Amino acid sequence: MKPILSYNWDGRPRRDFLRLGMMAGAFAGLSASQRSIANNSGPAKATGAKACILIWLDGGPSHLESFDPKPDAPVEVRGPLGSIATKVPGVRLGECMERTAEIMDRITLVRSLTSPLGEHAVGTHYMLTGYQPTPVLEYPAYGAALAEVHQPRSVLPAHIAVPKFDDALSGNGFLPTRTAPFTVGGNPDSPNFKVRDLEFYPGLTLDRLQRRKQMVGQLDQFHRKLQQADVVGESALQRAYQLAASQEAKQAFDLSQEPQAIRNLYGRGGGSGIGQSCLLARRLVQRGVPFVTVGSTGWDTHQNIRTLKERFPGDRNAHLPSMDRAFAALVTDLESQGMLDETLVLVMGEFGRTPKINAGGGRDHWPNAYSVAMAGGGVPRGVVVGQSDALGERPADLPVTPADLAATIYTLMGLDPAFELHTSDGRPVRLAPDGAEPIREICGVTERDA
Amino acid sequence: MIANGNRILQVGLILFAWSLGDSSPVAAQGRSAKTPVDAAKPEKGTNGDSLPVDFRNDVMPILTRQGCNVGACHGAARGRGGFRLSLYGGNPLADHEAIVRHLKGRRIHFADPESSLLLRKATESIQHGGGEVLSWDNPLTETLVDWIAQGAQLGQSDLPTRIEVQPRRAELKSTSDRLSIQVFAKGPNGQSRDVTELTVLTAEDSSAVEIQREPVTITVNRPGRHVVIARYLNHVVPLQISLPFGGNAAAVNSSAAQRKQQHLVDRYIDLSLHSLGLPASGQVNDQIWLRRLCLDLTGRLPEFTELDQDQYDLSQADDRQRVIDELLQSPQFVQFWTFKFSQWLRVRPQLSDAQAVRQYRDWIADQIRGGVSYQQMARELILASGNSQQIGPANFYRTAQSPRLQAEFFSEFFMASRMRCANCHNHPLDRWTQDDYHGLAAIFAKIPTRPMVEVNPFGQVIHPRTLQPAVQRLPGERFLEQTEDVLKGDQGRQALASWLVDSQNPYFAKAFVNRLWNHMMGRGLVHPVDDFRDTNPPTHPELLSVMAGDFTDNGYDLRHTLRLIATSQAYARSSDVLPGNQHDDKFYSHALPRPLIAEVMADAISDVTGVAERYAEMPIGTRATELVVTNVRTRTLEVLGQCDRSDSCETGSLPVDALAQNLHLLNGPLLNQKLDAPQGRLHRLLAAGHRADDVIDQFYIAAYNRKPNADEQQFWQQQLRAVGQDRQLQREVLNDCVWSLLNSFEFKHH
Repeated sequence: MKPILSYNWDGRPRRDFLRLGMMAGAFAGLSASQRSIANNSGPAKATGAKACILIWLDGGPSHLESFDPKPDAPVEVRGPLGSIATKVPGVRLGECMERTAEIMDRITLVRSLTSPLGEHAVGTHYMLTGYQPTPVLEYPAYGAALAEVHQPRSVLPAHIAVPKFDDALSGNGFLPTRTAPFTVGGNPDSPNFKVRDLEFYPGLTLDRLQRRKQMVGQLDQFHRKLQQADVVGESALQRAYQLAASQEAKQAFDLSQEPQAIRNLYGRGGGSGIGQSCLLARRLVQRGVPFVTVGSTGWDTHQNIRTLKERFPGDRNAHLPSMDRAFAALVTDLESQGMLDETLVLVMGEFGRTPKINAGGGRDHWPNAYSVAMAGGGVPRGVVVGQSDALGERPADLPVTPADLAATIYTLMGLDPAFELHTSDGRPVRLAPDGAEPIREICGVTERDA
Repeated sequence: MIANGNRILQVGLILFAWSLGDSSPVAAQGRSAKTPVDAAKPEKGTNGDSLPVDFRNDVMPILTRQGCNVGACHGAARGRGGFRLSLYGGNPLADHEAIVRHLKGRRIHFADPESSLLLRKATESIQHGGGEVLSWDNPLTETLVDWIAQGAQLGQSDLPTRIEVQPRRAELKSTSDRLSIQVFAKGPNGQSRDVTELTVLTAEDSSAVEIQREPVTITVNRPGRHVVIARYLNHVVPLQISLPFGGNAAAVNSSAAQRKQQHLVDRYIDLSLHSLGLPASGQVNDQIWLRRLCLDLTGRLPEFTELDQDQYDLSQADDRQRVIDELLQSPQFVQFWTFKFSQWLRVRPQLSDAQAVRQYRDWIADQIRGGVSYQQMARELILASGNSQQIGPANFYRTAQSPRLQAEFFSEFFMASRMRCANCHNHPLDRWTQDDYHGLAAIFAKIPTRPMVEVNPFGQVIHPRTLQPAVQRLPGERFLEQTEDVLKGDQGRQALASWLVDSQNPYFAKAFVNRLWNHMMGRGLVHPVDDFRDTNPPTHPELLSVMAGDFTDNGYDLRHTLRLIATSQAYARSSDVLPGNQHDDKFYSHALPRPLIAEVMADAISDVTGVAERYAEMPIGTRATELVVTNVRTRTLEVLGQCDRSDSCETGSLPVDALAQNLHLLNGPLLNQKLDAPQGRLHRLLAAGHRADDVIDQFYIAAYNRKPNADEQQFWQQQLRAVGQDRQLQREVLNDCVWSLLNSFEFKHH
C-alpha cells in the first residue's frame, strides 16, 4: 500500500487546510487522548433509514429568520421579518416558512445546536463530518462514511452532490476517493440540464468503453503501481464506465420524466435551483442511492437580512421561500410515495447568524446557537428538541454539538457511532467522535443506555 | 477548601519571581534594590511561597494552560459570557484590566478571595458555561487565591524572553519508552525558572503521541518523527520525537571523511534514513530517470524536448550531468520555468489588462533566459515603478487588491510565512504580531494597486488596535525610522528590499530552495512550502540550511540548485517500496509518485496525440503552460484541475471529482477528438503505412519513454489478433490502446 500523497491527479488532494487555525483550536483540549475501545461487531443494524437527503445551506443560514424566530425579542434581535404559527401549537417559524409550517407535524426541530467554530471552512468541516478539523487528518463527510460501510445497491454512486458539494471539503477525507461525492454539475433548474459526459462520444460504443477500461487495468497491472483504492473494480475509471454504461443511471438523472405538477411543487425558476435539486435527490434516493447532498449557496447574509425574503419587489424565489417550497415538497412527496419513514431529510448549514442585526441590516456568523431541521427516517413528528435562549444566543437547554448531531445521524441511519473506519495507514477512527451522544429525544433509548 | 495558613501577604513588595543562576548578575526591575534572591528559589509547583504572585508570570500561564483564553472560550473576539481575554494571552495588560476592573470589579473579592467570581466560575461553584476548569484542591487554584489576597497586582517582574525545552529532540526506542520533558522560562538577565507544569503541550498528531502530566512525560505509539508544541505565555517551541521504523536501515557511510565526499543531498538524506531505520529503495533505470528529469525541468516528455537521446549514455554519471546541463540551457526550460514563476507570482490579468500581464510574463522569461539571479529578480520586483503595460515587474504591485493582501502575498511567496492570522491578533503559533502585519502593509500602502505604479505619499493603513496609521515595519525585525523619505517616499520598500535579499535574511533563500526541492521531490523539506514557522519544523533542518547557503554562495542561481538536486541519488530513487519503507512519506526512502499538474498533463496529451488543444482565441499550438490569461477557463483545464492563481498554487492541482473527470476522459472530446483527428499522430502513422506493432512502439516511447516489454507486446498482439484483419477494427484497437496509455498510472505520474 502506498502512503497517501498530498495530492493525486485522478483523485482529490488532501489539502493541508487551515493547519494553523486548527492547531490553535487544538490547544483548547488538554485532556490526554483516550484511545477508543474497538467495538466492531458490525456497523449496520437492521433498523434505520435507508437513505439520507442533506439540504446543505452553504454560508450559514439565519436560524432567526427560519426555524427559530424570536417574535418577543427586541427589534434589533427580532429583525425585520415576522413569524407565523404552524400545525403544531406553540411552535412558530419565520414568516417565509409558510409551507413548512403546514407540515410542521412531520418535522423535528433541534434549536440548540452549538459549536465554537464560527469560520466557514472549519464550521463546515465540523458540521459535515462531526469532527473538528485537525492538521493531520481530514475526516469523511457522512455520505462518504455511508458509502464506505454500505454495499453498493446500484450502479449509481453511493454519495452524490446535486448540483455540487461544498468547496471547503473533499468529502471523502481519509477514505478512498471512491467515497467522494459525485458532483452532478450544472443547474437542475435549467431546461436543458444534463449530467455532463454521460452520453457516449460519437462513434464510441459500450464495447469500446469496456475494452478501454480493461486495457488501462492491464497496463496498471504491468506497472504494478496500483494503489489499494484503485484495485480493478473500484477505480474511478471503472465507476465512470459503469455509470456511462447504465441506462438506469441516465434515467435517474432525467428530470423530464417527472410530471409537471410535481416539478412545479418543488419550485422552479429564480436561479437557485434548490427545488429541482431536491426533486433530483428524491429520484436518486428512490433508485437506491444512500446519500445525496443538495448544495444551496448564498446563505452568508452579512448584509440586509430582508433579501432572504425578497431581493426585489414581487420576488417569489428568494432564498427562504425557495428553500421552504423545496423542503416542504420533498417531505410531502416522500410521504406520498411511502418513502418518508426510510428517508432522513436534514436541513442545515455551518452555523447560525448573530442575534443582533448588524449595521448593514444583516447578521454575521454565530455558531453559539443555531438550528437543524429533520424529517423522516424515524425521527419524531412535530416536536422541538432543545431550545435556544430568549435572544437566540445560546442553548437554553439540551446543548447539541455537531459531534452529537453526527452520532444522531449515524444512529438514525442504523449505524453505531462507535463503529470504526480505518485510515490508509490503519488508524481506527470512530464514525462520530468519542464522547458524542446521539440525541436521546430523537433516537430513543440507544443500546448504550440500555 | 484551601488551607490559608501558608499564604504570605507581601502586597506592594517587589521581589523577583525568578530563580537565578549562581553567577548571573541580579538586575531587578523598577524600584527594587539589587537583592540576591537565591533563597527565593521556588520549591515546587508554580510559585515560591515567599514571593508575591505575579500576574503575567504566574496568573497568565494558568489561564493559558487551562484553556481560558482560547478562541472557543474567553479568547474569542467578543469574549464569552461578557468576559473577554486576549487570545492566548497576547495582551496581559488588557487581561488584567478585564479581570480586576471590569464588571465593576466583581470578578475579584479582596476580603474573601475564595468568593471571587473568577474562582467561583473557574471551579464551577456557580454556573459556568465552560464547566469546571480548576478544582479547589488544585495548586493552581491556590496560586490564584494567593494572587487575589495579595491585591491582584499586575506585578513588575521581567517577562521571559524565551523558553527552553529539554530535550528539543529525542529518539525513543520503543512505544513503551517515556520521555521526560522539562521547560524553563529564561529571563532577560539570565534568570531561569522551571515552568514545566504551566506549559501547554500539544501533539500535532494526537493519535501518535500521548502526553501525560504529573510528571510531564511523552510516549509515542507509531513510528516516525512527530512534533509536539510547547507553549508558555506567548512563547512556542516545537519538540521533535522520533520512533524508528525498525526496518533494515539504509547503510550509511561510517566515516566522516567518506561522508564529506558524498553528494551533499545524499549525505543528509541517508543519515536520516539510517537513524529512522528506513531502507532505501533502489535507483530507477535510465529511461524513467530521463522522463522524470525532463518533466521536472521542462514540463515535457523527453520525446518532445530538443534532447538527442542517442548522444548520451545515461549509465555514465558524466553523461547524466551533461543531459541535465543541456536541459537547463534549453528554450523549453525557459518556457516552463516562466510558467512556474508565473504561478508563484500569481501572474494573472487585473481588470482584463492582458497587455500588462503579457509584459510581466515576458520580463520573467527574460530573467530566466538570462540567468538573472533570484536575488536580483526579487529586488527588481519590489523596487519596480512605472506604467505596468510597459514595465513588466511593475505588475508585482498589481498582484493583490489591497496593501494588506499584498503583504500577505509578499510574505507567503518570499518568506514562505503565513501572516494572515496577525491581521486581527498576534499570531498564536508564530512570531508574527499585528505590528508586523500592518507594518508590512503600511510599506505597500505607499505603492497603490494601479496600472501606473508609483509612490503615493499619503498611502497608509490603519492599525486596528491603535486606530492610528500603522508604522512601517520590517516583519519580525524593526520599525522603520520615521524620516521624510519613509513617510512620503520610496524609502520603505527600499529598506524592505535590502532586508529581504540580504544573505543573512532568515527566510529568503530557504523559502526558495524549499520550493525547488518540493518541485523536484514531491514534498517540501518544510511542508506545506509556504508555511515556515517554528512550530512546523523541516524534516531535514541541516539539509535545508546547507542548501540555502549553497544557493546563496552560488549567486542565487536557480539552475545551480536544480542541478544539485537532480544529480543526487535521492532524486533517482525508485517509487517501488520495500518492506519497511512503505509507510514513509517524508524521508525520501522511495520516490513519491507525483501526478502531472493540469497544464503539463494537457500539454503531454497534445504532444503524444499530435493534436494541439485550443485555448480560447490563442493561436493554435499554444501550450497550456504558455497561457497568460489563466482566467479564461477551458473545460479541459478545469477537468484536469488547473489552479487559477488567485491564491497560492503550491498544493498542485485543484480538487477534481475523480468520477466526473473519468467520465470526461471516456466520453468527452479531450481525448476522443484528438484520437480521431486525421492530422493526429495515430492517423498519420497509419496513413504512412506503419505496422500496428510499430505504431504501438512509437506511442510507448512518446508516453513512457520506453518500448513495450515482452508481456506488453504479447498483450497488444492478442488484442489485435482478436479483431482479425478488418482494418477499421484494427484502427479502433489502436485508438483504444493510445487512449489507455494516456489514462494509465505510468503516464499520469512521474
